[in-house]
Amino acid sequence: MLKLAVYGKGGIGKSTVTSNLAAAFARLGKNVIQIGCDPKADSTINLLGGDPVIPVMNYLREHDREPDDVAEISKTGFGGVLCIETGGPTPGLGCAGRGIITTFSLLEELKLFERRKPDVVLYDVLGDVVCGGFAAPIREGYASQVLIVTSGEKMALYAANNIYTAVQNFRDRGYATVRGIVMNRRNVPGEEEKVRAFADANGLPVVADIPRSDDINRFEDAGRTVVEGDPGLDVSRRFLALAELLLNEEAERNP
Amino acid sequence: MKQTARIISIHAADTSGVCSMLYELGGMVVVHDASGCNSTYSTHDEPRWYRQDSMIYISALTETDAILGNDEKLISDVVSAANDLSPRFIAVCGAPVPLLAGTDFDAIAAEIEARSGVPTFGLHTSGMNSYLVGASEALEAVVNRFCAAPVPLTAEPSANILGATPLDFSVLGAVDSVREWLEAAGFRVVSCMAMDGTLDDIGQAGSAHVNLVVSSCGLAAAELLRARFGTPWVAGVPVGEKFPAILADALREAAKSGANALPCAARSISGSAPIPAVVGEAVFSGSLAKAIELDAGRPCRVLCPLEADDRLLAPCDVRIADEDAAADAFAQSSGVIADPMYAPVCPAETPFLRLPHEAFSGRCYRKESLNLINRPLPWRL
Repeated sequence: MLKLAVYGKGGIGKSTVTSNLAAAFARLGKNVIQIGCDPKADSTINLLGGDPVIPVMNYLREHDREPDDVAEISKTGFGGVLCIETGGPTPGLGCAGRGIITTFSLLEELKLFERRKPDVVLYDVLGDVVCGGFAAPIREGYASQVLIVTSGEKMALYAANNIYTAVQNFRDRGYATVRGIVMNRRNVPGEEEKVRAFADANGLPVVADIPRSDDINRFEDAGRTVVEGDPGLDVSRRFLALAELLLNEEAERNP
Repeated sequence: MKQTARIISIHAADTSGVCSMLYELGGMVVVHDASGCNSTYSTHDEPRWYRQDSMIYISALTETDAILGNDEKLISDVVSAANDLSPRFIAVCGAPVPLLAGTDFDAIAAEIEARSGVPTFGLHTSGMNSYLVGASEALEAVVNRFCAAPVPLTAEPSANILGATPLDFSVLGAVDSVREWLEAAGFRVVSCMAMDGTLDDIGQAGSAHVNLVVSSCGLAAAELLRARFGTPWVAGVPVGEKFPAILADALREAAKSGANALPCAARSISGSAPIPAVVGEAVFSGSLAKAIELDAGRPCRVLCPLEADDRLLAPCDVRIADEDAAADAFAQSSGVIADPMYAPVCPAETPFLRLPHEAFSGRCYRKESLNLINRPLPWRL
């Protein structure tokens, strides 16, 4: 099972990258689960035609009990991708990080992985690893690899460095390791040089170079990923190529 | 009110279960908490506290440490203490504050083990479950870690006792009586998990022909030993006069056939007339109910207020989630055998027989504790 966590600065395009990757894995015939781990709960909306799934925290708030079945807190989107959102507490109250841990415990109790037997699990995580809850997706048993999404913008690279440092700090704990950088271009001056300089300084490969594309926006306006909307576009092929790369590596690790 | 205890007590917490199960094994147990659970444990839940040394510690977690996620302080303190004390293993477990902070005890254990060289495991207690959950996970972790090497079966019939702690059996000789009964039945006791035994004994557990599960918290370890060594398990406690012989036969049959057996749950009732009820942990209470059926000729059910695998309960048994459910169930029974702290919710017209349970009332009624192992029951039903 390939288990990936996608991190990056808020607004950098993590959900776009994650849901396009999910769609790409699905187009390659894989059984995929995407778990949005952001209180905004908008990670999977473009896999669902714009019709969102009820976040787990909302379910708990509305029903005052845990669901009996994963079906109550999930929806199936494009290509059969099972979409789940942790959601978050009432804004300004509660603890969002704890919400992620609670959701993961709940999914374990519901035996999600044993029953669904996914080939790929994607965790789309809030931009900053601000507390233990936001590191939960990279704990042992969850994601084994991290993709960091960044552009060449200063603050995006600053956040990427913070994320990389946080993951490195956990290296004695058996947590996930950083697989590489997904360069999501904003077309700032010297973008590629800046991103590659950061990647090289930390010994990380740039595993995908996603061009700024109006096609992404056009399909997202219709509640779809570009990989779903037109897999033949250059930008779609970039996501498909990344999915193939990661699957091939997984096949080599676990033939 | 649901899920509340306005009148009666509550059972010891999972942290006490961990400490109780590991108390005699030469390991160091660290509960990551401010301190309250430690005083409850030492005062009420641990009768060995003042007569037998052990390495049970509290981390003295502060608000600042919790906010800052200062795991490093816990790790370095534990490693430092381990260097001084040379424990056989280290167990770190949590309480409500680490639960809310999402502390990763598996990761902390990995770091402690890497630095100290001492086998270390994280246990996922929260203070929100009963002692059985903590004791079960602790025993399973020990068996997982120390019963890994293949060992040959003993030449003579033999057994392990799984799931014995003072929380269920007190310290007034009941576990000794189980051991004596097993030996009289022809089984050498390889290990007793985890009273009056050692970690080295547990390391030989795979050599036993059968495992006797004497409480719910022994079941997970029994399943692990079955998966690892093929050892069958039998659930029951030899209480009363007639049930011990049935249990001994079940052990012999399991050792011969390799099949698990649940004589404690082999009970049924007919009709709807009120019958007596035993309140408590599933294996002991089920065994007592069976003993009442055999010795007194009265069908009897278990009212189970604790976590229990469905297999350990008979179809006639009832789970009681809170004191309201307990009161309703008591009112429908012809008599109730339970810890004295249940008496206030038992209707006056329902006969109430006192059977102290250390995990429920702590030391309060220890002088009234009864050893029911392999002897006539003291009540007329």
